Amino acid sequence: MTSHPDVEALAFFAEDLLESDEERSVADHIETCALCATTIDELAGVTRVLADVPAPALPQDVADLLDGRISEAATERAAADRPARGLDTTQPAEPGTPAPVTSINRKRRGFGLPKLFMVAAASVFVIGAGSAVVGSLMAGEPELDSASQLSEDATTDSAPDTAQSYSAEGVASGTVYTEDDFTTQASEVLNGAEADDDMGVQAEESATLPQGAQECVAHVEAGTDAHVTLVDDALWEGTEGTDRAWVLFSRESDGVDVLVVDPTCARGGDLDSAVLAEGSL
Amino acid sequence: MDAAQELPDKELLSRHAQGDEQAFGVLVRRHRERLWAVAIRMMSDPEEASDALQDAFLSAFRAADRFRGESQVTTWLHRIVVNACHDRLRRRKVRPATPTEDETLDIISNERLGRAGGAPDHASQTESRLDVHAALEQLPLDQRMALTLVDMLGYRVEEAADILEVATGTVKSRCARGRAKLLPSLAHLRNPGPPRDVTSGRGGANPS
Repeated sequence: MTSHPDVEALAFFAEDLLESDEERSVADHIETCALCATTIDELAGVTRVLADVPAPALPQDVADLLDGRISEAATERAAADRPARGLDTTQPAEPGTPAPVTSINRKRRGFGLPKLFMVAAASVFVIGAGSAVVGSLMAGEPELDSASQLSEDATTDSAPDTAQSYSAEGVASGTVYTEDDFTTQASEVLNGAEADDDMGVQAEESATLPQGAQECVAHVEAGTDAHVTLVDDALWEGTEGTDRAWVLFSRESDGVDVLVVDPTCARGGDLDSAVLAEGSL
Repeated sequence: MDAAQELPDKELLSRHAQGDEQAFGVLVRRHRERLWAVAIRMMSDPEEASDALQDAFLSAFRAADRFRGESQVTTWLHRIVVNACHDRLRRRKVRPATPTEDETLDIISNERLGRAGGAPDHASQTESRLDVHAALEQLPLDQRMALTLVDMLGYRVEEAADILEVATGTVKSRCARGRAKLLPSLAHLRNPGPPRDVTSGRGGANPS
């Protein structure tokens, strides 16, 4: 008797995921093996069991809570937005005016690799103001004052080196970041960092940054309008193997940008060649 | 606001990004039932599903101007809800609740389900729900998310791939792995009978 394929191979077979050789041998095996044929049926049964789990409809109290939170957020935004809107010339003058959909895709202000070398000191100021107004995804809760506090600190100081006036926090998550999943992985690390430290990523000490990372952060901040607030000393799974990499988190007015760099970026020079990946959370 | 009810999702999101105070609320009311279904399936516990849904909608509220129009608004909203659930599930894995807390949560959720559902065979449905929930907790999160979308919620593989931002083949293989892992713990739900000793088949499964 030939050995039975394992359950996973049978599940892959059922999804048409096997290579042709293996598929043929599993198909041949099932022809003569009632046990494995039954297992294939049972795998389909797993789907049925999952589909049959009852799910309650949206409870009214949850719907009400949701309505309340959203209208609260809309009111807060309106209150915060009006006095500040004049500062930002990219915004239309009339709130509430219907605008073409394309206007949503306004230029991202994150790491913006193509404009790495078009350093605009003033843009640091603009970003800071935006963060103070809109609040921050990075600060898990809208009420978290430390986020806007940080932004205000940054904006009171309009010198070009504002970006270095606070320090990034370091973590070493041990994550092996991959091309496909690094934004998801970065979100996890970010949430972990925030969960570990109620003050969020705005800790004032940079003692935990790996050697060279501070230079790298400074280099990135000098070449972009990013505010790096967290550095994960981790690994990157590239085409040529897995190597050490630093993942830089930059809080933006509308979320968090992530830049994966290799440690050679600490040496300065061409930043582009040190950048492994770029994304937004 | 009558006119707003008719607007397409993208237009509502655009108006919201431009400062319209009502547009996002319309979007929420349009999609909350569907997204609640996603959250409650992912989290199982109504309290946590409610928290995840609120986190997600508030994230979307603040991130609306990052929506790049490359996907449907519904896909984008799904993605945000799924990510919010993922974060919570991950934290639950990292810092597991004490057994007593877990039991309390299950009892609370049973009571809630009982009140809301009124299912004909309540006891056995609850039992199977708890079994499925316990079984799902053993899966790696990637597999759990894929199975929840495809098998529990009935999304097409292509839709799940869009939401999870992975290839369709990845969704299929995560589902296949997940089903293979769930099989031993769920087989009894459809084949009542003497429970089989599933570990002995693999040989030496006992930890030393």
